[in-house]
Amino acid sequence: MDTFTHILNGFTVAMQPINLWYTFVGVLMGTIIGVLPGIGPSAGIALLIPITYGMDPTSALIMLAGIYYGAKYGGSTTAILIRTPGEAASVMTSIDGYEMARKGRAGAALAVSAIGSFIAGTIGVIGLTLFALPLTSMALKFGPAEYFTLMLFAMTAVSTLTGNSPAKGVFATILGLMIATIGIDLQSGQARFTMGVAEFQDGVGFVVVVVGLFAMAEVFRGLEDLYRGTAPEAMKITGKLWLTREEWKRSIGPIWRGGIIGFVIGVLPGAGGTIASIMSYTTEKRISKHPEEFGKGAIEGVAGPESANNSDTAGALVPLLTLGVPGGGATAVMLGAFIMYGVQPGPLLFQNRPDLVWGLINSMYVGNVMLVILNLPLIGLFVRLLYIPSGILYPLIVAISAIGAYAINGSVVDLWLILLFGVVGYVFDKVDIPVAPLVLALVLGGIMEQSFRQAMTISGGDLKIFYGSTITVTLLVMSAISVLLPIIIPRLKAMRDKGDGS
Amino acid sequence: MADRIIFACMLVLAGVYFWATAQIPSLDLGDPLGPKAFPQLLGVGLLISAGMLLAEMIKKHKAAPQPQAVETADPAQRPHYWVVVAVAGWTALYVLVFEPLGYVLATIIYLLALTAFFNRGRWLMNVLTCVLFSAGSYYAFSELLGVTLARGILPF
Repeated sequence: MDTFTHILNGFTVAMQPINLWYTFVGVLMGTIIGVLPGIGPSAGIALLIPITYGMDPTSALIMLAGIYYGAKYGGSTTAILIRTPGEAASVMTSIDGYEMARKGRAGAALAVSAIGSFIAGTIGVIGLTLFALPLTSMALKFGPAEYFTLMLFAMTAVSTLTGNSPAKGVFATILGLMIATIGIDLQSGQARFTMGVAEFQDGVGFVVVVVGLFAMAEVFRGLEDLYRGTAPEAMKITGKLWLTREEWKRSIGPIWRGGIIGFVIGVLPGAGGTIASIMSYTTEKRISKHPEEFGKGAIEGVAGPESANNSDTAGALVPLLTLGVPGGGATAVMLGAFIMYGVQPGPLLFQNRPDLVWGLINSMYVGNVMLVILNLPLIGLFVRLLYIPSGILYPLIVAISAIGAYAINGSVVDLWLILLFGVVGYVFDKVDIPVAPLVLALVLGGIMEQSFRQAMTISGGDLKIFYGSTITVTLLVMSAISVLLPIIIPRLKAMRDKGDGS
Repeated sequence: MADRIIFACMLVLAGVYFWATAQIPSLDLGDPLGPKAFPQLLGVGLLISAGMLLAEMIKKHKAAPQPQAVETADPAQRPHYWVVVAVAGWTALYVLVFEPLGYVLATIIYLLALTAFFNRGRWLMNVLTCVLFSAGSYYAFSELLGVTLARGILPF
């Protein structure tokens, strides 16, 4: 019964006027970030962390979470109107959504994304509410060895599932872990890899890395596109911002299925919103009675993926909140924010700060209601953002990034770092090295080394502790499977194709 | 081609990292592993990823023995590296003068040049945006949030 009181109590926290205000600010900024190309949720959250410093952690986290799930709503607008996903997970929406816009049904496409996002987002939060507690009670049994193997699993899954090449994903992960080792070693007090730079003694802040890799790199790509003249033009909203009865009937199934697919994929590490929306799209196409319409403006192709990528965000918060281990780039940035406010997510947080956890979770119900209002009746306002000339927008993003980076420590070193990581992010994109694993590894690196050394201290230097319990063995096996899957699946496919052909 | 360069970079990085790890002085006080063990593990991990990349390269080479020479023939897809180099260089200059000139002046100059090039012809709009943004953000941060961005040579 205790938990139930905590959940109810969370609503009183979420409904406090100050927290309602920050929920609103968060989802509003999320929508804007989602609509604008250039700053995604990861960079958006990272840029706001220094500004929210000194705020009450509950309010700050409510706002940052609002940016995270709000950006998914905004991302569909750009996908539909300019065929460019404002946010990576909206990539499937840009296929049929843009086709609908060309046929004069932009209004319906925008409406079904907003409604689908709302229903699926709420399904996701309900799932988060239900799954949080069973997982925390399991996580309470975790020791350092279990945590180490859990993080290993999260990292292997992310590095082999994002991008096209597992080798490059693993490389990005190792690079992130290496950056995390820069600075003073907490256990021995020894400075490591500081290269004589005094600012590096505290380590390389993840905020500058994220801002560089996501925002600055996007500026370089955007200005290159602009110069080349391939930057897309925005379409006008046509048609009523509502669905016909027929369209509604066709959408409701995909919304429910997408909501469930998205949540499940979100809970698992590695996959993330993009894969969730692709899975929803292929599912809808397979079970549809008219699969030939897909790619030519089928409303199911908008309803399903948009729903999936919204419930995915709630799903992704499950491992972050209950275990303290994020399963992707954006949730890794969220973890970084938690840590900066001195809040360690995980099972103990549910015991020690139920007000914060449930206040945060319940604010998402409220935030989703606000988002559907922002994105349906008020969508016209946000569409105007698309008419800001990119030649002004991208330079401003650099200035905003510079403010955000400089505000942390008042140090020019951080400005050099965002420039450096901006160039790195641009080059990595060109040569197909994913950056999400790097960010995840950077945020988790310190904790991972810590738990590795604690485990070794407990066992007296014996590696056996890492395969001594059922949980660690299971996690190690799962890590191995996530490494081997990308190798095995193509082989199986090849074998099956051979079998069919003969 | 890009993969070969990445492969070479991985090996160089692994070498540098191993060397730097060896430079960490260690005082073994009760900590069975010390500050070097985890970095050493990472060095090995980097070599493993290099091995994985080599395997992928060999597999790709077998699958498509002839290199695609015409891959960037489409002019719309050709990268314009010099644009990126120029923007990065200009940004480096911005960082250099950020503290000496101060946030407001440095940012105005930085933005004016970029918008003049990328948003050509619309002078009034560009100048207004650059000046208002720089001054406005400086004011917002110093007055409302109590964060002073670099003041530089301006008296306020």
